[in-house]
Amino acid sequence: MARDEQELQPRSDLTLGELDRDGAILEAVEQVSGETRAAFLGKAAVGGAALLGALAAPPIGQASAASDVAILNYALTLEYLQAAFYTETERLDAVGGELKRVPRQLGAVERAHVAAIKKALGRAAVKRPAFNFRGVTEDQSKFLKTAVAFEDLGAAAYKAQAARIKSPALLAAAISIHSVEARHAAWMRFLAGVTPAAAAFDEGKPISEVRAIVASTHFVVARPKTRARKKPKYGG
Amino acid sequence: MTANGERRQRTLARAVGLGLAAIAAAALAVLISSPSTSSSHAIQQAPALPASPEPALRVPSPVRLRGSVGVAQWASVRYGVSVRASASSRARIVTRLGSATPEGTTNIVLVLRRARDRGGRLWVRVRLPVLPIGSTGWVPRQALGVYGVVETHLVIDLERLTATLLRNERPILRAPIGVGRAEWPTPKGEFYIRNMLTRYRSPFYGPLAFGTSARSSVLTDWPGGGFVGIHGTDAPELLPGRVSHGCIRLRNQDILELGRLMPVGTPVTIR
Repeated sequence: MARDEQELQPRSDLTLGELDRDGAILEAVEQVSGETRAAFLGKAAVGGAALLGALAAPPIGQASAASDVAILNYALTLEYLQAAFYTETERLDAVGGELKRVPRQLGAVERAHVAAIKKALGRAAVKRPAFNFRGVTEDQSKFLKTAVAFEDLGAAAYKAQAARIKSPALLAAAISIHSVEARHAAWMRFLAGVTPAAAAFDEGKPISEVRAIVASTHFVVARPKTRARKKPKYGG
Repeated sequence: MTANGERRQRTLARAVGLGLAAIAAAALAVLISSPSTSSSHAIQQAPALPASPEPALRVPSPVRLRGSVGVAQWASVRYGVSVRASASSRARIVTRLGSATPEGTTNIVLVLRRARDRGGRLWVRVRLPVLPIGSTGWVPRQALGVYGVVETHLVIDLERLTATLLRNERPILRAPIGVGRAEWPTPKGEFYIRNMLTRYRSPFYGPLAFGTSARSSVLTDWPGGGFVGIHGTDAPELLPGRVSHGCIRLRNQDILELGRLMPVGTPVTIR
């Protein structure tokens, strides 16, 4: 077998959990000190709650089905995650070489997805969660692995929801985003040396699975408290 | 052969030739079209299908970042951590950072740069809310949490007694201020906004107060550690002037406007 073929061995699936078996993404988490496991898990639960909140949004007008709004908010939460990931990487300017243009190009697209979905949801849109990427945005190798996992996850999440979408107009919009996520996934897989499209058919990922994968990263965290209702104690 | 016979033979030959050509053309047409006969039929039928629905939302053009001019980064402190003089766990301890401020908000630090130690561990150099003024130090990345980005910068001019808020290095607000008296001077240097306090009952501080990382080098025993605040006032007639214990006072309408425009994490230059 040629060397190129060996390097591009087909993979049936590539989840964040699989990628993280070598500890690449959660390395920083494992090194955490000065914090109890219970406290850490408590913070992880906040991330899970944020995603659950995204699935429980109230319906908006225009006769949209409540489930369509929930699906749109679910998509928005994933888009927030992707957009924040690439935006932070671009801001930190910590990846170079052939990856240099990745956060700039993909970030611009994911931010456009966020803007479009937020506009469609209006006041029913869930708020942007806070993210702690735990150094992944500052490490070339971890960044690429996470990008592969996020793009695969995004494509699989949209795919799984397609059959549940009631509005044909919303389905058309979701498909138009899904194909872009799939292109991103193929590009990231190619850069990572993984076959872009190994299978003839792709499986979708249900919400429960996507939520578990995202929660396992501990990237979604409680928003820092920067405001308080407290009398100042400054010198005056 | 007679002339008539030759003409008849040429006509026959032409007719045979045309016939063969027609048969060949027909055969070629069949050969070309036969593999996709059903597809052609389906495509011809396509106009009869209903029109595709208009997508419920339009994804606009990719949204580029606005650039890095005047952009600063801050980070929350996840847990109490020793701050080192350099990016190494063996380096001298400069101070210790807690995860909360005296006001009960999340402690944040301004991010200055990053480096890895020999073991590949990521460290972040941060601006510190401690004396002496201008202190910086290194903390492991894992001790920090959320990264925030601000595009604003507040400049306090102690000579002209003005506060100027910049966004992407362009002024968007300028206001007269009150600063520390000669015996309680407002410290000069580079600092940042740590938190915002609202809805307290104290006319002296006005409707809103920002906590900064700046500390008075004179009033070190002040409750809370002598941090310099930026707040409103119940005596606007004293502004501009050198009237405070080191804090920066603004008229209430100005501090409210600053509260609308200036996020926590904004760098502050006092000069």
